[in-house]
Amino acid sequence: MNTSPSIDQMLEGVLISISTDILPNVVNPKAAATAQMMQSVIQGIRQLLPVYDQYLAEEHNQMLGVLREVAGTIVGSSGPAADRIRERAAALANSAELPMPLDRDAVMAAHRRLGVALQESMIDLDELQRAGDTDADAGLEAIRGHLGPRIARDTQTFLVGDALLGRG
Amino acid sequence: MESQLLELLREYFPEAEHIEVTGFEPIPGGYSRETYRFDAVVRSSVGEEHHPLILRKDPPAAVSILQTSREIEHDLIEALRMHTDIPIGRSLGHEPDPERFGEPAMVIQRMHGNSRTSDLFHDGPDVHHADDVMRHLCEVLVELHSVDISTIDPHGRLADPRGEGVDATTWDTYIDTTVEYYIRSFPDVNFDPTVTFVLDLFLTLRRNKPRPLPLVLVHGDFNPANFLYEGGRVTALIDWENARIGDPREDLGWMTTMDILSNTNVMAHPVDEGGFLAYYNKLTGFDITQDEVDYFTLFGTANIAVPVNAAIKRRLDGETTEFMHLYLVQSSLGTVPNLLRLLDYPGVSQ
Repeated sequence: MNTSPSIDQMLEGVLISISTDILPNVVNPKAAATAQMMQSVIQGIRQLLPVYDQYLAEEHNQMLGVLREVAGTIVGSSGPAADRIRERAAALANSAELPMPLDRDAVMAAHRRLGVALQESMIDLDELQRAGDTDADAGLEAIRGHLGPRIARDTQTFLVGDALLGRG
Repeated sequence: MESQLLELLREYFPEAEHIEVTGFEPIPGGYSRETYRFDAVVRSSVGEEHHPLILRKDPPAAVSILQTSREIEHDLIEALRMHTDIPIGRSLGHEPDPERFGEPAMVIQRMHGNSRTSDLFHDGPDVHHADDVMRHLCEVLVELHSVDISTIDPHGRLADPRGEGVDATTWDTYIDTTVEYYIRSFPDVNFDPTVTFVLDLFLTLRRNKPRPLPLVLVHGDFNPANFLYEGGRVTALIDWENARIGDPREDLGWMTTMDILSNTNVMAHPVDEGGFLAYYNKLTGFDITQDEVDYFTLFGTANIAVPVNAAIKRRLDGETTEFMHLYLVQSSLGTVPNLLRLLDYPGVSQ
């Protein structure tokens, strides 16, 4: 996966382009309003993305606690509804709390460090290969063996359509 | 912009008593220059003439993907028109002074013909013309590759048009200095560690040179979007800004890449000749192998990857806010599996 551009950089780019390339050329007021609504939604997504996984995990763990607490508040109650609440809490008693996701910026920085190391290794391997060191061929093969499937997966994940847009 | 255009047209048509610009509108497509179509209605003592034209203008330098010269492009077009039968629109002139249009510009003839070359492929309406068009396109390319360089480029400006130290004195110096330019440029194109495969591509080109061929004038952006056709004939080869002295296999390699990116199939035609490469070999006697085309697919891709990835990096570094450069991060992925296959990456298929 690319760390640059980040998902946030790409969304920001779309927002800027709607403002500078699209809106000044839109003459239909309804279309202009729709473009502004798109900007609002995209900006919202930018705000959601950094916290989305964390909030889901936090809220999951909080809900576990609340459901147990609710059952605790009705210890004196009876009847089918109270029984269902207690059953629900009992069923969740063994549910584990979800781990908090890693900080994405930290993951991206660590990923980038190793990516740069691979790059530097490739330059060193080339120097060895040009000096006639055939062992370096296997080193290059190892890097290619890692990068190939990975880039193919990135391409499958991110590519849309089967031709460049805006050309003949 | 239209009033400045009128001023320029008065220089190109000094005999005109009245000039009118009609239908002025931007043309979508063309990733490197801003282009506008218009008609010039020119009235003089001898009558009224209608000229279908195109204004081709440089974008601001920070946004520009390819830094090329309108003057060199103009001179090349006019030299080719004078000395060859290559179908090519006239260049009326170039305006180097950025005062007039904000950036240097040129005015060229708008040629007739269909620019939607995707109509020739898959279920397009002109598939029955595909063989004839590609046969003619191949013949045009062969004529281009056969021109006398000293006639077309008497001042040697196409030997190193980017000014990157490319030495086209011999085939070996050309390949060596061009690959050195790619490798030297890597820090400028290294927008993310995933482009390590681009570095691998550059280094592999240096380690695996093929046999030499005579250097020729190459189009430099020979791709399915850069020709027009009508019936079974090419009516124009367009967009000459990246033309230069190079190896003829570069144009074949780049077309191979752009066939993939454009979802077209130029290289498979003319079918009765065994495809574009076979027909090219028949016409030239170069006997170019698929392995050589593969090398120059990588070489030609590198030639465009350097300015394109450099533009992406400038965008990500905040030097510009151009959206096109972000789109290129996504759209250029289409060619990557083929590049990795040509580099023999394990586990990668086209």
